[in-house]
Amino acid sequence: MSALSRDQIRTMMDEVLTAQGKELPADDSTALAEIGFRSLDFSELALRVEDELDEELNFDAPGLRSIETVGDVLDLLDRLQNA
Amino acid sequence: MSDFTQTPIPAASCVLISGGSRGLGLSLVEDALKQGAKVATFARTVTPELEKLAADRPGEVFVGSVDITDAKAQTAFIKAAAAELGPIDALVNNAAIGQDSMLLHTSPERIGQIIETNLTATLVLTRAFLRHAMAKAGRGRVVFVTSVCGQRGYAGLSAYSATKGGLDAAMRTLAREMHGRFLVNSVAPGFFASEMSSVLGTEQLSTITRRTPSGRLVEPENIAPVVRSLLFEDTNLNGQSLTIDGGGSI
Repeated sequence: MSALSRDQIRTMMDEVLTAQGKELPADDSTALAEIGFRSLDFSELALRVEDELDEELNFDAPGLRSIETVGDVLDLLDRLQNA
Repeated sequence: MSDFTQTPIPAASCVLISGGSRGLGLSLVEDALKQGAKVATFARTVTPELEKLAADRPGEVFVGSVDITDAKAQTAFIKAAAAELGPIDALVNNAAIGQDSMLLHTSPERIGQIIETNLTATLVLTRAFLRHAMAKAGRGRVVFVTSVCGQRGYAGLSAYSATKGGLDAAMRTLAREMHGRFLVNSVAPGFFASEMSSVLGTEQLSTITRRTPSGRLVEPENIAPVVRSLLFEDTNLNGQSLTIDGGGSI
């Protein structure tokens, strides 16, 4: 399957948050801490993306620590699937 | 605002049980079904008992012939089971092989085989399950069937004990790693009359029985209720190894 678009990943991120009664704001500069998006939430999102792509995305902990905003998450997953 | 970390992890709805073809594994399969859960289970050899369960309860039981050391087969099984039953949100790591030899006389190949089956393959299966459950359900429960051997010394079981102690250690780490998403615990049975405990011999089993405060060896029926509570009850138990041995190890 071809790479997922940024909008598709955003929709999946929204699903992860909605399952916890949270909302994904429209502003990509929103801090993850502000919306309660944690490291395991990123893992869940990455696994959902992997499930769609049918291939594993490999990333290390330092890469994960550098994400601070909604936009960072979308950028990282975009980079990972194109790596 | 609700948060995964602030609400109880739901009871299991679909449980993957490794090594469910007979003995304790089969008891755990039957017990999970009694609780209303769907069950996916595999073993190297699918027994007539499992075949009958699958035939009698289509859409509720999914069985397959899988060697737990085959990582690709594990993943394929999870995918096929989920396609039939829906998302799997709980795992019972039951499959294991035993040992009946002093380390002095156990070949390096046999040691490797025991570690590969009981420890490496179990962790690989747990990884595959967690990847599936995180993507499909987001939350869930994991139970490792370890052994009192991982805590106490019994002659002839050194490699086996190493794997069970290793699983208990991994269990505690996973409970923390999967923070708020998964309850991860172990049950550590004492010796019960099974093919695995038969390696101890009549004399050693008799000694263990005599030294057990409850005066009897453990039965699979004693393990099932504890696993049941870890899978279905809101106990908030997490990162614990529960020894079920009639007090034999105290």
